[in-house]
Amino acid sequence: MSQATEKPDGTGTPEREISHDEYDPVGTAALIGLYFLILVALWIFMYFVEFLGNDPTVIGSLMVGIA
Amino acid sequence: MNIHTYEKAWLAASLLLIVGFIVTITYGSVGLGIAMIDDSEDTIEPDELDEDERFAEPRVEQVGENEYEAYVVARTFFYNPDTVEVPANSEVTFYVTSGDVIHSYSVVGTNLNTMVIPGEVSTMTAEFDEPGEYGVICNEYCGGGHHDMEGQLHVVPEDEFDMTELSVEAPDEVELGDDATFEVTVENGQLDDLETTIDLEVGNETIEEAVTVAGQESETTTIDVDTADLGEGDHDWTVTVDDYDESGTLTVAEELEAGDDDE
Repeated sequence: MSQATEKPDGTGTPEREISHDEYDPVGTAALIGLYFLILVALWIFMYFVEFLGNDPTVIGSLMVGIA
Repeated sequence: MNIHTYEKAWLAASLLLIVGFIVTITYGSVGLGIAMIDDSEDTIEPDELDEDERFAEPRVEQVGENEYEAYVVARTFFYNPDTVEVPANSEVTFYVTSGDVIHSYSVVGTNLNTMVIPGEVSTMTAEFDEPGEYGVICNEYCGGGHHDMEGQLHVVPEDEFDMTELSVEAPDEVELGDDATFEVTVENGQLDDLETTIDLEVGNETIEEAVTVAGQESETTTIDVDTADLGEGDHDWTVTVDDYDESGTLTVAEELEAGDDDE
């Protein structure tokens, strides 16, 4: 790992090293969070609006009394 | 193992997403009763549909108060029956099979859609709450006329729906003074009794007869018309039962030619 912390010019002076939990990529997290919300929204749209809104739907004859 | 906080959050969120998928599908199948079309029906010989009690006469049948069964045979390139008519507020089970190649029965704009495979009977049950007209198409390429293969599904308002059939047998010619006998058969395909009136209009006369046809039975009523009242000549007649009518012409002759007696 020593190479990774060296300056690219090879002078050997180490960069500031941060601990595991100090690494805090907020931008990446926000982007992934946004992707996640889009995914959830699309699922809800697809199932509840596009699929269930497309009545009539095939139902099971066993569930007939209940539904 | 040291897992970063964001990674933990991501893992938890993805697990939650999977649980969410499972919950929605479970809600659909348990809560709403949504089912898949399967091959649970026994297989059938596609060359012998004419001898099958369900498919020899493809039709709509009433099996419960608001329950109907529709039997449909798909062939290149049509559906029999071409138009399936059911009432609103009903639950209909479709039994669809093919007499030749693979077709499909797809009710356009809805989730009703099944493959129709020769030798298999596709069953699908659906509830129709609102009246409406749907197109039915074949979405499995079945040959040169595939694009013309279509049917109709009509969901009619409950009070406009009936399964009544009317047929009339009447003589063409009657000798003046004899009775003309009209045999009016009313068939009631529904389970409930049908109370209605038969209206017979012949010439200037109108005869009304009340009939009650038991559920899934047919009733033949004989109406005699005295031709002396009609007089000689041609008389148009119309028999009307609810929305159905049948008409013809009755000829009253002074004397029938020998061997021309209808009765």
